[in-house]
Amino acid sequence: MKTSDKDINIVIEICGSAGEGTISAGEILSRFMSAQGFEIMSFDAYPAEIRGFGKCVAHTRVSANPIYSPGKLADVLIALNDNHAISQLSALKKGGILIYDSQPPKPHEEDESVVAQADAETISYGVPLTMLAQKAAGNARGRNMVALGALTALFHLDRDAFTNSIKDRYGKKKQIVIDSNVNSFLEGFDWTKENIDKADAISFQGVTPPQTKAEQTEEKLIINGNQLVAKAALDADLKFYAGYPITPATKIMEILSKELPKHGGTLLQTEDEISAIGAVIGAGYGGIRAMTGTSGPGFALMTEFTGLSVMAEVPAVIIDSQRGGPSTGIPTKTEQSDFNAAVFGGTGDCPRVVLAPTDTTSCYDATVLALYLAEKYQTLVVILLDFFLSNSIRNIDVPQKPAPEMLNANIAPDAADLAGYQRYKITDSGISPRTIPGTPGGMFFATGLEHDAYGRPNYTDKGHLAMTAKRFRKHANVLNEAPAPVISGSQKTVDIGVISWGSSAGAAHEAVMTAAEKGISGAGFSSMMLSPFPEKQVKAFAGRCKKILIPELNYRGQFADFVTRIINRPVERLNFITGRPMASEDIVEKMKEM
Amino acid sequence: MDMNPSDMAADTARSLYLDEKLAQVREKDFLKYRSPDLPTWCPGCGYFGIMDAFYKACRELDLAHENICAVSGIGCSGRTPVFINSYGFHTLHGRSIPVATGLKLAREDLTVFAMAGDGDALGIGGGHLPHVARKNIDITFILFDNAIYGLTKGQSSSTTPFETKTNSHPVGNPDTPLNPIRLALAYGSSFVARGYAGDPEGMKEIIKAGILHKGFSFIQILTPCVTFDKANRTWKALKENVCSLNLHLPAPDNMESAMRAAENEPYGVGIFFQDKERPSYQDILRQMQRAK
Repeated sequence: MKTSDKDINIVIEICGSAGEGTISAGEILSRFMSAQGFEIMSFDAYPAEIRGFGKCVAHTRVSANPIYSPGKLADVLIALNDNHAISQLSALKKGGILIYDSQPPKPHEEDESVVAQADAETISYGVPLTMLAQKAAGNARGRNMVALGALTALFHLDRDAFTNSIKDRYGKKKQIVIDSNVNSFLEGFDWTKENIDKADAISFQGVTPPQTKAEQTEEKLIINGNQLVAKAALDADLKFYAGYPITPATKIMEILSKELPKHGGTLLQTEDEISAIGAVIGAGYGGIRAMTGTSGPGFALMTEFTGLSVMAEVPAVIIDSQRGGPSTGIPTKTEQSDFNAAVFGGTGDCPRVVLAPTDTTSCYDATVLALYLAEKYQTLVVILLDFFLSNSIRNIDVPQKPAPEMLNANIAPDAADLAGYQRYKITDSGISPRTIPGTPGGMFFATGLEHDAYGRPNYTDKGHLAMTAKRFRKHANVLNEAPAPVISGSQKTVDIGVISWGSSAGAAHEAVMTAAEKGISGAGFSSMMLSPFPEKQVKAFAGRCKKILIPELNYRGQFADFVTRIINRPVERLNFITGRPMASEDIVEKMKEM
Repeated sequence: MDMNPSDMAADTARSLYLDEKLAQVREKDFLKYRSPDLPTWCPGCGYFGIMDAFYKACRELDLAHENICAVSGIGCSGRTPVFINSYGFHTLHGRSIPVATGLKLAREDLTVFAMAGDGDALGIGGGHLPHVARKNIDITFILFDNAIYGLTKGQSSSTTPFETKTNSHPVGNPDTPLNPIRLALAYGSSFVARGYAGDPEGMKEIIKAGILHKGFSFIQILTPCVTFDKANRTWKALKENVCSLNLHLPAPDNMESAMRAAENEPYGVGIFFQDKERPSYQDILRQMQRAK
């Protein structure tokens, strides 16, 4: 990507063993960079080749410009643990920077050290992390801070501001903890300034981040998708959450278990996911906003209830944070392989709403929209997150709270409707005015059996057709309230159109922009709304693209199959099931080949 | 003012007369809890009696129709909400308990019933029972136990006796039946009772007690399937094997004596166990939030 002299766009990885402060060092780095006004995207990665137990990688991308993807390769690797860092060298760019412990705790054979394994072009800086930490605090625990001190000195970062970020991070701890961390940091900074001859070109000196507006306006939120979903749900008047522990969705339940009671809501931990969605549907029938969160295996268990929500027209919201593989699969890896299950899963003609946020910010919008649509359209809404969206951290503007009309969406019957009340009245919109229990004169019973307008079981062919058509009509009307698809790149006829969804969309739009700089004419299309899908728009988009590319994180292209059927022409596919998020670099490579 | 004895006697007589008349009116009045839809059950089915007891219990407690919600699963018992003049939710096979739980947690003001058959509650939905019991969710659970899968025409269920011949086990059921009362006790239900479809008055009293109980009420109703079980749990066999729990159980607050009384036959009917002190789930949540 083209970067001017004063542009910053780097990926820093800190690699260590569990307990070495890898994750907290990454967190402090992210918070510091955000406070400096840069865009950040970070996540804690667990590579496919876990050699030895407890390898941690804190991956942070820092940029002066908007970030759309986490970046495939690192510019800088900080090795807190040589053994683990060796397996991370493959993710370091050619000519990248390695910061390693020049006097590690246990002397190791030459070939076991990370610096010996790094290729010749790597710029390596040996810093005695352990020795300096010992000197600063009397123990080696501060090695991670020494490394951050070295980084600060090397890249001409603001030492005092960084010190403040460390103090903020440990602000609630004892003074001795704060002091030993700060001293370790300063020790690393001073030693590096005196002893290291800089051989790389990265420097923050004179860089003015375009986002110093962060100082003028509100503080930025540093947050991941799970946290943002929980926040959005509370802002959108969620009153009930039922869940069963499952990676990577558990955190949503844990946050809400603290927060929901403060908002007058109830959290229920259930015996299984069947019970969780059952309770959500019970609460939805009772007239309050209810939601559950899960991942693939739990979503599979919920399938029968998803049909009931649609058939009995009871609001329900399910978050499926996708992980790798079918069955138990790969619980700590990201994948986009539940598309078919979310959009088509289950039995019968069963139209349901499916939303897939494309980045951290849109996790908020999708959650607010899901609770609104479920209530208004009396149906099931599935939010497709994935491991990456759930766990990756961004610094974002504080989202605007939902408008009042988004919080009270049930269409209740008026006096005329209540005379001879038909709960499932056939209407043009497909929406039938809905009473909630406790309303005199509005009594009805809901059923998963096919039924007539009053809700009474009815198996006639005409009745079944009329009710099925009503449910599909309702579903189609949801499109009127869907956010517009995001279209990037050229507005004219292009060589390659990249159609994407979910967490891959950022990388896809970024790839379109990068490819344009390399002279490839391209355009990007993504839609948060997957079901109902904006078919007209995607057809129009495809109509001005000579070739279509659909990148996604599953084996054969579930979304590509779906889009192919709509646009009625073959597409190029780019599929990964590596467990890593989509990289714009890979999409650009593919575009070059096409 | 003094009253002479004859006046007092006349007054008492008048009062007794009025009470009797009022009772007769109320007897009929309970039918307002029945919906206009005609039940789909077979003639002679025990469920008719259960529902009459249910209507009467609602009437005597004077529950507002719109504040009642009956949640059912699938099976012959699944249709019960159709026949109640109230809100109702006919859900999935085995899942009345989760839905009723969510509804009650959402709407504490409602009187929530969960209704299920033996296959429904103890077979496919058996995993939910321990948890609603230990959480002590304030719902009234009625188990329509006819020891057979009726709607699918006569297969063995979780309570079909050993060696009974059924359409799925033509040479005899090889499985040992569950004992629902003992399960409910072991799971920690705070209210455990059994009624019998041939005893409308007893069922009504039990259902009333269950509604008034603050916490999870487990009520098993023994009932015949007149169509698919001609040999085992017939009206005749039930009548002969049912006895009042009063003979065995003077004070229903003792788990051990309740467990003993729940031995298979004869079938004791009445309240096996009740813990009136135990707070319901929602009370516990409130206590914990306050104590925090």
